[in-house]
Amino acid sequence: MSERQSNNGSAFGRRKALALPFAALAARSGRAVAQAKEPFRFGCLMPTTGLEAGYGLDFVKTFEMATKDINDHGGVNGHPLEMVVLDTQAKPELAIPAAQKLIDVDKVPLIVTAWSSVVKALGPVMNRGRTLQLNMGANSPDIANLGDFTYSTFPLADVDVTALANYCHTKMGKRRAAVLYINNDTGIGGAKLFRDTFTKAGGEIVAFEAYDPKATDFTGLLLKVRVANPDMVHMHSLAELPQVIAQMRQLGMTQQITSYSVGYNPKILAQLGAAAEGLIVTSLAPTSTANPNVVKLLDLWKQVGRAPNGLPYLQYAWDTTLVTAQVYGWLDQQNMPLTGENCRKALLAIKTFDLPMTGKLAVTDDHKVQKPVYLYVVKNQQFTLLETIA
Amino acid sequence: MEYLASTILLIGIFVILAASYNLIIGYGGLNTVAHPIFFALGAYTSGLLGAATGLPAVVCVLAGVAVAMAASFVLAITTLRISGDYLLIASLGFQLGLLQLVNNVEFTGGPAGLSSIPDTFAGPGRGAIYVVICTAAAALVVWAIWRTMNGPFGRAVRAMRDDELACAALGRSLIGMKIRIFALGCGAAGLAGGIYAYYFQYISPEQFQVAQSAEILTMVVLGGIGTTLGPIVGALVLVVLPQAINFLHLPNGLVGPAQGIIFTALVILFLFLRPGGLVGTAGAGAAH
Repeated sequence: MSERQSNNGSAFGRRKALALPFAALAARSGRAVAQAKEPFRFGCLMPTTGLEAGYGLDFVKTFEMATKDINDHGGVNGHPLEMVVLDTQAKPELAIPAAQKLIDVDKVPLIVTAWSSVVKALGPVMNRGRTLQLNMGANSPDIANLGDFTYSTFPLADVDVTALANYCHTKMGKRRAAVLYINNDTGIGGAKLFRDTFTKAGGEIVAFEAYDPKATDFTGLLLKVRVANPDMVHMHSLAELPQVIAQMRQLGMTQQITSYSVGYNPKILAQLGAAAEGLIVTSLAPTSTANPNVVKLLDLWKQVGRAPNGLPYLQYAWDTTLVTAQVYGWLDQQNMPLTGENCRKALLAIKTFDLPMTGKLAVTDDHKVQKPVYLYVVKNQQFTLLETIA
Repeated sequence: MEYLASTILLIGIFVILAASYNLIIGYGGLNTVAHPIFFALGAYTSGLLGAATGLPAVVCVLAGVAVAMAASFVLAITTLRISGDYLLIASLGFQLGLLQLVNNVEFTGGPAGLSSIPDTFAGPGRGAIYVVICTAAAALVVWAIWRTMNGPFGRAVRAMRDDELACAALGRSLIGMKIRIFALGCGAAGLAGGIYAYYFQYISPEQFQVAQSAEILTMVVLGGIGTTLGPIVGALVLVVLPQAINFLHLPNGLVGPAQGIIFTALVILFLFLRPGGLVGTAGAGAAH
């Protein structure tokens, strides 16, 4: 199936679709550029320093790009949109006081967040502060159970990992799988999901091995996997994914390797070279070929002068800014004050958001997000679309 | 105002941690880096007990203190014959091993953390209540340490720190003193953990990493090692400073690096100008 077909044939009108929500908001205000009215502010908690800053800073940059784009198109009913960013280093203990500052001092009714441990730590803070949290990048399944004030714009792990495990068993005919995972919240949740889904489909998990997040040598672990003789190896890893794959190939293990959306990163291809061939990964957002709106984001990043980290996540960052603008716009139209409770009401009232970068977002009572899953395989050092699972 | 309350609460928690760490490393001269695990034991015991039994928070927090003290006996007894660098390595193993255990057993929530800790005080006065409780607890810990260190036992502890052999020759039981210092210091860390768990309602192993020892040690050294007021000043400065930088309204990409640069520069400056700490003298306390 080609990428364009995978988009269900709905050719996104490039630029047009992207500008639509802003144009509608701007038309109501009758202004081209938002300046005079009181700004509408939202909070943004991301790791701008520390180990995860590579992704965090690019998320922030994309939020800034999207905010500027909205303001260039008239803002939110004429109100400029403003973002207040604070650093979390992806650590809960830093995120909690930062969130409380945003709520109490900056008086923002809505905060965008990512990273599972941060989102989970902020759940009780948001419930007490009655402030809306929009998770745009964390995927721990527990996030769906954090209470009334935490919603996601990003699918949790049960969407892509389940689809991948079923695909491996039913379409690829794999029967014996080994699972290697990083011993943290992301790794354990994803690995268990893969194991349970693959087993339920009729497959057998022949090895289920965790490694320390600070590990650099995986030889012992991989030899154990080799002895188990699997048909395939699923790796639920983070930044160390290329190291694990490289060491596995160096040991002469030729089994099929799969991973989730963190593997869909051009930097991994550059790091691994030929060793990446055949790697299957998931992505939760369409590429620029399938969705021409993404080209605009890529063009903006070209002005930055480098390729962005984790493009699919950035597409969610862009769209989450739009969701925020639409929530604020809805409240402004209803003459309702911008409070966390009202933001939640607006989110549930609007319910369905047509978003330019990642497609339709439906807000549901179970706090989960359903999106198509794009499976990519590495062929000739490039990610090639293998299958789209709606 | 919840933000102000949480900042004061964090100061209180770090005052407890820094003061108790100062007791062990500053007064006792026992080089350990395992303080975060006692903080974690207090937090996890309180949180798990509260979530599973619904017992009053006071009971759960006291249970956390008891577990931290009991664990300190294990560390103290197994390391009685060693000191200095060897104790440091042994405490590192204790910290890493126990944290791995917390990280790998199901009932603690593993790396996903524990998020089912009950909310004891609901409503707008919640923050203020916790501030009062935490401030009182911090004052109690500081007073208890001051009182202990300014009596005959305190003088014996200092003598042990300065020269173990001479102290033993005077008929003092080094083993008993080490056990008591560990118990008091680690129990206080457990108390801080219990308050932390109930206030923030979410704990995970990554909040209690060994690197936290460096943070607490910086508070102790910056304030003045081996002094009563030093850890209070150190905790106050190192909790408030990063928060204050958030108010400078720097561009988004600059806040994080600025925090790091300003923070590090100030710490180096303070230590250069006042090597004995902000409230200490150059020769005060343990010269480690």
